[in-house]
Formats: sequence, structure tokens, C-alpha cells
Amino acid sequence: MPATDVTLSRADLVSRLGGIPGSAEVDVRPDGLWMSAPAVDVPAMGRAMTDLGFRLCTMTGLAAGDGETTVIYHWVRADDAVHVKATTRGGALPSLAATVRPASWIEREIHDFFGATFTGHPNLAPLLRPAALKEGFFRDATDPAPPAGK
Amino acid sequence: MPYTVPIGPYHPALDEPYKVTVTCGGERVQDIRVDVGFSFRGIELLAQRRNWVEAVTLIERVCGICSNVHAVTFCTAAEAIAGIEVPPRARYIRTIMYELERMHSHLLWAGAAAECVGFQTLYMETFALRERVMDLLEAIAGNRVHYGMNRIGGVNRDIGDPERVAAEVEAIGAAVERSLVPPFLHDRSVINRTAGVGRLTQDQAIEWGVVGPVARASGLAIDLRRDYPHAAYGDLDFRIVTREDGDVRARVVVRALEFLESVRLIREAVRRMPAGPLRAFEGAPVIPPGEATARSEAPRGEVFYYVASDGGQSPARVKIRTPSFVNIPALEAMCFGQQLSDMTLIQASVDPCMSCTDR
Repeated sequence: MPATDVTLSRADLVSRLGGIPGSAEVDVRPDGLWMSAPAVDVPAMGRAMTDLGFRLCTMTGLAAGDGETTVIYHWVRADDAVHVKATTRGGALPSLAATVRPASWIEREIHDFFGATFTGHPNLAPLLRPAALKEGFFRDATDPAPPAGK
Repeated sequence: MPYTVPIGPYHPALDEPYKVTVTCGGERVQDIRVDVGFSFRGIELLAQRRNWVEAVTLIERVCGICSNVHAVTFCTAAEAIAGIEVPPRARYIRTIMYELERMHSHLLWAGAAAECVGFQTLYMETFALRERVMDLLEAIAGNRVHYGMNRIGGVNRDIGDPERVAAEVEAIGAAVERSLVPPFLHDRSVINRTAGVGRLTQDQAIEWGVVGPVARASGLAIDLRRDYPHAAYGDLDFRIVTREDGDVRARVVVRALEFLESVRLIREAVRRMPAGPLRAFEGAPVIPPGEATARSEAPRGEVFYYVASDGGQSPARVKIRTPSFVNIPALEAMCFGQQLSDMTLIQASVDPCMSCTDR
């Protein structure tokens, strides 16, 4: 069971987030702390957040340029939340599935929807994607190329 | 020698499609694999092609049981982006709808559970009482399933006679306490069928990240109605229900007692509900560029929405995480070492919703 430091102040939490390799400035918003850190060390973030008693609520995929995907890791603890935005490099991010179990299905879903790869995932098989559609079909549907000549 | 048994996607115990492939040694379950996606509708993607008003209607159809919680949570995220403050009366109406939805959802689950343990009369009794909750929802909203109560900025309609709602809820609560709680909590055949079955320890509950009654039945005191007060919960005296055993029986007990807590919350909400407007503005919403998240406590646990706007007519991105999406994978831990014959009961004890999971 992870240690849950429920007494951690918001300032301490910001400081702890700053200690994660690849971290960036933290933005304080009504729905939690937001950190846009494209190159964050994902496994280190997973360890840090778990140690702080946060639970991985889910991850959101967003189509980014050049075929990359922005992945928002939504961590929650009681009334607090931390949202960390990372971006795939070469279409991939390290998987959290081996150490953070709830990451397994959502990584498969993001792979289905956006084609992002999660390196080290034990079984990145389709979860929700209908067999007739290709990986990344959300990306194709939301970011269509303009018709030629228009 | 191990053998495998496929259960589903036309599931013997549940009306929604999913597949569980069970590997057994003798009668003992050694491993399970869950396959989902049979009801995939692409609602997140479709929401990006609807305007903000249409998106509420679409998103309410994520689920036919907890439809209200999806509409409210989506609206809450959009309201956060736009800085819209929902009027107090609308917050109370949302809360009453949350709890009515929880009542009918828990009764639906209890009926399915009674059928799983072979207690047909209890199943019929449960569904007869659930019907009264459905009648109440229909009287308020005009619909039994998709209520259309919510809009960005508040609610579409008032609860015309809240005292009548409170009185009927009270009567249903008394009937549940008299007819359903004793057999579910004390009947020997129910206890024999559920105690010690499908156990999920507290450590496993943390490891798998489960939420809602499944988590609370494993001793995790997490409930957004207390931890992250939304709608009008911050004004109400909410009492969280937990059990330590982590088995099917604990999940039964938690839901039964939560039902009675819902009755109490509705009574208190009706008593405290202020007069006032139902919505912050008239007409179509304008959602400026931005992003926000929202969380609500659905009957099955935490619902999470991420919503982004580019300032246009439609959401730029809607991400929906339902409680079943994190509760169903934990079946792997609950089923290990259990009897093959208990598989349907253990699965039902999670109250899995494939409509929510697949979206």
C-alpha cells in the first residue's frame, strides 16, 4: 500500500512535482494542479505520484502535430488532482502498466484511438477499436486533411 | 490439466455484451481474461461533432442507468471552462436526481444479484420497488431513463412538488428497509452464497484503482460526495458507508446501506432546497477556449470528464472515464482461486456496465 501523506500542503506538492525529472512549471487551477511537461520522465512520475498517495484516475489522449499524441495523466487524491501533460516521442511513451495497474486498459484505449505506443506494455492489444478501423482513427476523424485544391 | 471456459459475449447473467475467458484447474479459477468493446459507439468522437447543446443530449446516452451523472459531469466541466456559476436550486435538483438515479441503479443491481443467487422472489420484490423509483423519475422528468434534466448552466426543469417526491422516497425507503434489507443482510442462503466469495483485499483495491461500492466494500473510504463535494453535497450531512471484508457480501451490504443513505440525502435536500432560478442564462451556451475536468460520484463510483473547448460551437475534446472501466479489470484479482460456479455472481457483484465502459 502506498504511503499517503495526506498532510502535504499545496506548496509541498508543487515542490515534489518539481523534483520529477522533466517536470515543468505548475499551473494552479480550480480543478487541480496542471503541469505541461512534454518530456516528463513517465516512470518517475508514476512512482512519485503513487508515493504521494495519488491514484491514476485515467489518461486523456489528444492529437498533437507530426503524428504525436499529447497524453494527460490525471492523478487524483480526495479533493486534489494533478494533471500532467506529456507528449509522445516518435509516437511512443513508456508504459505505466507494469507498476500502475489502472494504466493498462487506458493505454490500450489511447493506442486504439490515437495510435500512440506505450513501450513496455505487456499486451497492447485492441481494447475498444472495431476490427474494421485502423489504430488512430480518432486522429483521422478529428484532424482531416483538407480536400485537395480547396 | 487446465481448461478454458468462454463466458459471453452473450452473457448468461448480465444483459450487456462482454466476454470473460476463464482458465480453470479442476473447479478452481486460475486466470481470467476480459474482452470488452462489443458496444463501442464512439461517443467521445461524436460529441466533437455536436454543438454544446446537442452534446449534452448525446452524452446522457453513454448509459441507460446512470445517464444523469454523465450529463451533469459534462455540464460541470463546460461550466468550469466558461466560469458559469450554477444557481443553488439547480444544484439541489441535480443532487436529488443523482440520488434517485443511485436508488434505481442499486435496486437494479440488487435484483440481478438476487437472481444470481437463485432467490427469485427477492428479485421480483426488488424490481417491484425499483419500478416505484422509475415512476418517480418519470413524474419529475417525463422520461424513465434519459431524463433531459440538465443543461450547461443549470437544469431544464424544476421539481414541481418536492414534498411529494420526498414522501414517496420515504415510503420506498421504508419498504426497502422492511422487505429487502433483512433478506440481503441476514438471510442464511444469501450469506452462504456471498460471504467469502470474490474477495478483493484493501491492498488489491488500491492496486487496481477500483472506485465506488466495490472500493468501499474493501475498506476504502472514498466517495466523492464527501471527498470532492459537487452539486449540493457540500451542504448536506453525507455519511459514507464502508465494509472491510471485500467479498460479494460486503458489496451487497454497502449498496443496501447506501440506498438508505440516498433516501436520507433526498429528504435533507428537499428540506434545504432554496427557491430561485433554474439556470444561469437563457439560450445557447458560449464556451470560450480552455480545458477543465469534473468528477462526480455515480452509482458505480467516480465518473471523470475532461472537456476542452477551442471557442467553437462544439467541444474540441471530450474524454469520459466511467467507474466500470476501472472496476471490471479488477475481476482478475477477485476471481483468482474461486469456484467456476461463482463466476457469474462475482462478475455481477462489480455491477459492470458495458454501455459505460465501451461508450
